[in-house]
Amino acid sequence: MRKFRFLLYKDYLLLKRDVAGMLLMFLMPAILVVLMALLQDSSYRSLTESSVPLLLVNRDQGELGEAIDKQIEASHIFQIDRKVNEAIPTLEELEQEVASGHYTLGIYIPENTTESIRKNVARYVLAAFSGTMEKPSPDMVNFVIFIDPTTKVSFYTALMSTLKERTQKIEFEYVLNEISRQVNEFSPIPVSTEGFSTEQVHIDIRDARLEGRDLNPNPVQHNVPSWTLFAIFFIVISLSGSIIRERQDGSFSRMMTMPCSYTEYLLSKAVVFTMVSLIQFVLMLLIGVYLMPLFGMESLNLGTSPAALILLALSAAVAAIGYGIAIGNIANTIHQSAIFGAISVVIMAAIGGAWIPTAVMTESLRNLSRISPIYWGLSGFMDVFMLNAGVMAVLKECGVMLLFGLVCFAVAVTFNYRRRMDV
Amino acid sequence: MDNQFAIETRDLKKTYKGKPHPTLDGFSLRIPYGSLFGLLAPNGAGKTTAINIICGLRHYDSGDIFIDGHDVSDGMQHVKPLLGLVPQDIALFPSLTAYENLKIFGGLYGLGKKLLEERIDQLLELFDLSASRNSYINRFSGGMKRRVNVIAGMLHVPKILILDEPTVGVDAQSRRLILEKLTDINKAGTTILFISHYLEEAEQLCNRVAFMDNGAIVCEGNPAELIAGKSECNCLESLYLLLTGKKMRDSQ
Repeated sequence: MRKFRFLLYKDYLLLKRDVAGMLLMFLMPAILVVLMALLQDSSYRSLTESSVPLLLVNRDQGELGEAIDKQIEASHIFQIDRKVNEAIPTLEELEQEVASGHYTLGIYIPENTTESIRKNVARYVLAAFSGTMEKPSPDMVNFVIFIDPTTKVSFYTALMSTLKERTQKIEFEYVLNEISRQVNEFSPIPVSTEGFSTEQVHIDIRDARLEGRDLNPNPVQHNVPSWTLFAIFFIVISLSGSIIRERQDGSFSRMMTMPCSYTEYLLSKAVVFTMVSLIQFVLMLLIGVYLMPLFGMESLNLGTSPAALILLALSAAVAAIGYGIAIGNIANTIHQSAIFGAISVVIMAAIGGAWIPTAVMTESLRNLSRISPIYWGLSGFMDVFMLNAGVMAVLKECGVMLLFGLVCFAVAVTFNYRRRMDV
Repeated sequence: MDNQFAIETRDLKKTYKGKPHPTLDGFSLRIPYGSLFGLLAPNGAGKTTAINIICGLRHYDSGDIFIDGHDVSDGMQHVKPLLGLVPQDIALFPSLTAYENLKIFGGLYGLGKKLLEERIDQLLELFDLSASRNSYINRFSGGMKRRVNVIAGMLHVPKILILDEPTVGVDAQSRRLILEKLTDINKAGTTILFISHYLEEAEQLCNRVAFMDNGAIVCEGNPAELIAGKSECNCLESLYLLLTGKKMRDSQ
């Protein structure tokens, strides 16, 4: 045990003197988590809180145009202008305004829209009550909507869907009222549509969640665990570098001639880098809880199970350390280990959902993401932060990460033994 | 079992994977207790492989090795504390101070805190490094690094000290100091296996030498007796060239 203390002392000193490695392990993820959360937060706000600039030209003098105008205004999605330079624009001017990027949307309600619909309804009612088999030909009413071509397809689709829903509802109510009015002109018994609901089908959308918890991850909830895992895995560069340096300068061989086993040598590194991982973990959580609110973002909710969080952090540390030891033993030079280590961790983070949630990936990518230990770590942290999951609920995630670490460790030990001893 | 030798190897054979020829081919060496033994060989003769195998850093294909009477095939746990290795590389941690390096290596040999502090002070003083005790190794000159490298191998006062070219690349002052101290340590009872390319150095320092070539010992004995045995030789270097030839031996 006394000898092992000297190995720990050695690894602690070497780590302390590795300023570049310390910056890479602590400062870089701290900056990344704040920066990425801020960027995603601003994008999120621009879609949910900012209004879409809309130029609305209502040339209809009737009730329908007025109703559509009021409905769009009441939606609070749009920042509506009705005039340009104190004048109501023409159809061409409206197109020009949207094309030049001043407005995301331009809506043109043509003249006599209400009157045209009223006449169409009258023709239908007349045809229905006269018993004629001939279908009346309605006068088409053409709304024109101009869209900024730079608008994203998903945003445009969502916007058009909302707009169509609102205009069709008004049109339907208006047609119903008009039928009622015109039928009353023929019928001795008054027909009323008052109290008739246009919303017969109610779609109940619910979050599948535990009681009282919000399931929609905000940028803080997504970024803190993502970059925490990224930081924990980034220790592979420092860890593998230290293994290769000691092998190249001969100090590893010297230690192997001393009463010190290879297992003790690796265990010392594992203990020191586990401490590093736990410090990174606590640092990132503190940033999430205390620093993020200072930038106007929500504070990180840590869930209700500190034990589950610690277990996840330790499992992630084992996975990262096993991976780092494997790279340190397989790579021949520090250059190789630094490049391969950094790129492979970035790939693991990308396919593991650290940057883009796996939910929006294709099925094949979602399946692929399961090979990344970062996917399992992220899944476990999300469960704890957002579902109040406890230790039992994250055992599977921890088990996969531990298995990954142990397999890497076994590969490293076998590879080292075969190369070192030439067997 | 004959136990009058600090190190004894019998018919040691080793062929590296992918290499057509054996690096060690019947390597038999007997180093008596208390000797200052020089192992001299051209490049690529297999001496570093032999040292690595003796220290337990490499496997060997066949043969026997006994260190202080212990058969190394039974494990190195009893052998490691007896050995001190000074490798050819500066096997130190460059970002640590001389004191920190020595504290770690001494600690790994299991020295107690008080004894370790005493040994470090004593050896730093002996090798004229006390003033640089708390300086970082990466700021040391080549000669200073070599001296710390030697100290790290002898902190635990090993029964057998193995030095692989300990004076390579150092100035005359540092070389003289290192060789003087090695003689003192040998006189105090430590068996020394000294590997060097400097034949004049070996002739002055060693009381026994062995020449190695093509993975085997070709000649062994007291330097003066060996030279006297060959009338055409007047020094160890001429004997060495006679036995190993003048052809260049670049290691591969």
